[in-house]
Amino acid sequence: MKRRLLLAAPAALAVPAWAQGEALDRPPEPGPPPALAWPAIDEFTLANGLRVVVAARHKVPLVSVSLLLQAGRETDPAGQAGAAALLATLLTKGARRQGRAEGALRIARAAEALGGTLDAAAAWRHASLSMTVTAPRCAAALALLADCARAPLLQAAEFERARSQALDALRVAFANPGEVAQMAARRAFWGDVPPGWSPTPATLARVTPDTVRRLHARFVRPDRAILVLAGAVDAAEARTLAERHFAAWARPAAPPPALPRARPQPIDAAGVLVDLPGSGQSSVVIAAPFVAGASSERARADVANVVLGGGYSSRLNQEVRIQRGLSYGVAAFGEPQAEAGAWFASAQTQHASAAAVLQLMQAEVQRLARAAPGAAELDARRATLIGNLVRRLQGTGGLAQFVGAQLVQGRAPAALAQQVDELLAVTPEQVRDFAERHWAAGALRFAVAGDLAAAGAALADAAPGALRRRADALDFGAAF
Amino acid sequence: MIGLPRRRLLLAAAALAAAPGLRAAPLALPALALRERRLANGLHVIAAAEPGGGTVAVQMWYRVGSKDDPPGRSGFAHLFEHMMFKSTRHLASEAFDRLTEDVGGSNNAFTADDTTAYLNEVPSNHLERLLWAEAERLSNLNVDAANFASERDVVKEEYRERVEADPYGRLFNALPELGFIEHPYRRPGIGNLAELDAATLDDVRAFHRTYYRPDNVALVVVGDFDPADLDRWVDRHLGRLPRPEGSVPRVRSAEPRRREHRRVALTAPTVPLPALALLWQGPPAAHADAPALKVAAALLADGDSSRLNEALVYRARSAQSAGFEPLLNADAGLLVGYAIASGPRPAASLEAPLLAEIRRLAEGPLPAAELEKVRLKLLTAALAERQTAAGRAMALGNALVMAGDVRAADAELARLQAVSAGDVRRVLRTHVLQAHRVSATYTQAPTS
Repeated sequence: MKRRLLLAAPAALAVPAWAQGEALDRPPEPGPPPALAWPAIDEFTLANGLRVVVAARHKVPLVSVSLLLQAGRETDPAGQAGAAALLATLLTKGARRQGRAEGALRIARAAEALGGTLDAAAAWRHASLSMTVTAPRCAAALALLADCARAPLLQAAEFERARSQALDALRVAFANPGEVAQMAARRAFWGDVPPGWSPTPATLARVTPDTVRRLHARFVRPDRAILVLAGAVDAAEARTLAERHFAAWARPAAPPPALPRARPQPIDAAGVLVDLPGSGQSSVVIAAPFVAGASSERARADVANVVLGGGYSSRLNQEVRIQRGLSYGVAAFGEPQAEAGAWFASAQTQHASAAAVLQLMQAEVQRLARAAPGAAELDARRATLIGNLVRRLQGTGGLAQFVGAQLVQGRAPAALAQQVDELLAVTPEQVRDFAERHWAAGALRFAVAGDLAAAGAALADAAPGALRRRADALDFGAAF
Repeated sequence: MIGLPRRRLLLAAAALAAAPGLRAAPLALPALALRERRLANGLHVIAAAEPGGGTVAVQMWYRVGSKDDPPGRSGFAHLFEHMMFKSTRHLASEAFDRLTEDVGGSNNAFTADDTTAYLNEVPSNHLERLLWAEAERLSNLNVDAANFASERDVVKEEYRERVEADPYGRLFNALPELGFIEHPYRRPGIGNLAELDAATLDDVRAFHRTYYRPDNVALVVVGDFDPADLDRWVDRHLGRLPRPEGSVPRVRSAEPRRREHRRVALTAPTVPLPALALLWQGPPAAHADAPALKVAAALLADGDSSRLNEALVYRARSAQSAGFEPLLNADAGLLVGYAIASGPRPAASLEAPLLAEIRRLAEGPLPAAELEKVRLKLLTAALAERQTAAGRAMALGNALVMAGDVRAADAELARLQAVSAGDVRRVLRTHVLQAHRVSATYTQAPTS
């Protein structure tokens, strides 16, 4: 599958105003754009329901393998945020292998003897076990992933150790204004539904080894899992390897459990101020509606995201960093979920500027509904988006991660070229219209975490009616 | 530690010393088809053409880094790096974004102790434009007062974000000052607010004049291009620049040996878990002991099956995390061992177990399989880095700056693979066990 990527400078920028002059006083014209190849994607399903996706690339003898399981953070039981993350961790802390129970140290040594590390993570809609290894170790890596997913020991002692480490990690996270503001903004936007929850010491305390075992029994099953192989492996080899290591994984007789599909239930207040006395900076986060992963509006949402926050010259970074020097940078991302999505933009600043940054960011997000991007602006930001995608796919790890994320979001990875066409078809008016319908003032929420005394009255004035919370007493559940 | 939008600051050069290449490996790494040229004006050109792929990495590695910060201007080399994205005679501020990200490329830069590197990646039909633009900011930088003031504020926010907002930022920022005795490496590259405020537009002009000259930079181009095109474009845009009179000033500072142990107690307003750092003097990056120290560091701290993780984090559960890193710069280095406590225990209590693991590696058995694991991890990491044109260009630029020779990129991993158990023991004895150290605890300041 080969396409030409339309990344030539648009006409309006071909001879920019700043570059008029004699020959060496302006940049030479670009030549014709190069043809870029999108990766070929093969997909098949084993008899037990396991989907296998292969993105072959033989340039470097590396393979990235990733097993995606349905046990994402959306499966956290109410009041037990962090349970799915603990399960993901515990999958690597002991497993039955060839009839023998092997503990955490043996699993880690077996993984690292292959030259990689066994990474376990819980995202919102899936948990994953991943490794990148040299091609001859691909089979051994798959065997390890299969054993850890199918037959983890889930021992109480390892559970206690993992929970204690998670508590330490929370102490560090709760001292960092960026992380605190992100968690608070998530809760403000989503409300008391799973995507709004984040772990706290109290929720971790409620999780038991049995919680984790139940999650494993319910959600870790072949007909709700996806195996991704990216790199120096072809579809035929991948099929042989997948059959060898995963065909014996039995599909449970009971149908897979349905997951609650959350829609946002934002808090009534416009936002939250979280006090972090002694913090070195304030972090400002804006939360706004996005779209579901497979939404027909996805391309418009993705383009609106990059106009505001994609790349260095995005509108938010222009306002906050480039024009005013108020922050090291604004970052933004869309988080598409099953039924809906959230969009976040964040920046850190000195406390005295927190109010100004909050107001600037709010105004800039809302301005998009009135000020559609110009054609040149749209082309530039879209090129940034597509260019980032091209670069992300250059390495096997990024390729495996991208392919997996596409599938989890209900998008066909083989339709990449079509998705790029959709991005290229978005018009300035569609971006403006998207902002008008989704990003009106009443739909936005915010969170600021920092030393509220140092931020002073200006922040209070900029955030009328905001909830006020102390970082050391945060609860992201019903009691928020 | 790094991961922010762009225009990064590397607090230690070793953070970018990812393993480059390997000859005697069980799997063949794609050889880098190198071409080197030296133009009449002194500009060094390193090129590796790889047809296909459609993108090209264009990097400028200047031989100036934080060690060259002028007196009273700590942080200046990094502040200056930000200015290189501002206006020139023929380019508006942020024009590099127009030339890169607006056409599907990217740009970034970082300042390390020994070098400042400007990194671009563009669709290959934009290569000549980038060469023109790099020549432009090398020869015609023209920053105005308003841009200077606003970008300095950005750098001050970068300081606050890295050093003050990160709960462990103050600890890692303090390490160079604690570890180095005389060398300018002891000044943190991010500087401090007072010295950033003291900088002037005249400082910017003087720094540009002194260090940004064709004979003080290496251009590294890797990716999809025709070598004949590259030669022609380089001659046209960079070859025309004059070579200035005189030579580039160089830091000449011999780091004295540390004569005694030293203990330091650091505090900060927000320290969620106490931490401990141990610092020893390390050799320069190109020293013969460097490969064995890197292997030792991987044995101690790379992955869940590393010595420190198994002993402190897993078995004793005394640490939330533990590490050992050789931060080896061109002139001198540091070896840093550290641990962040698990739960509220005294930071000093982490010292004995940390030292015990280092001693056990230096004096106890080292199974062949454990050494083999580290070799394979280093090889796999090198392969991963070399998947992209930008990664291959980084390996070349880094080898040039640290070892003075781009071919060191291919030699370094071969040396890493050849490190023996005896080498590991010897370098740990020499540089750690028989040397004096600084022990720094890091704890929460008493609240007022």
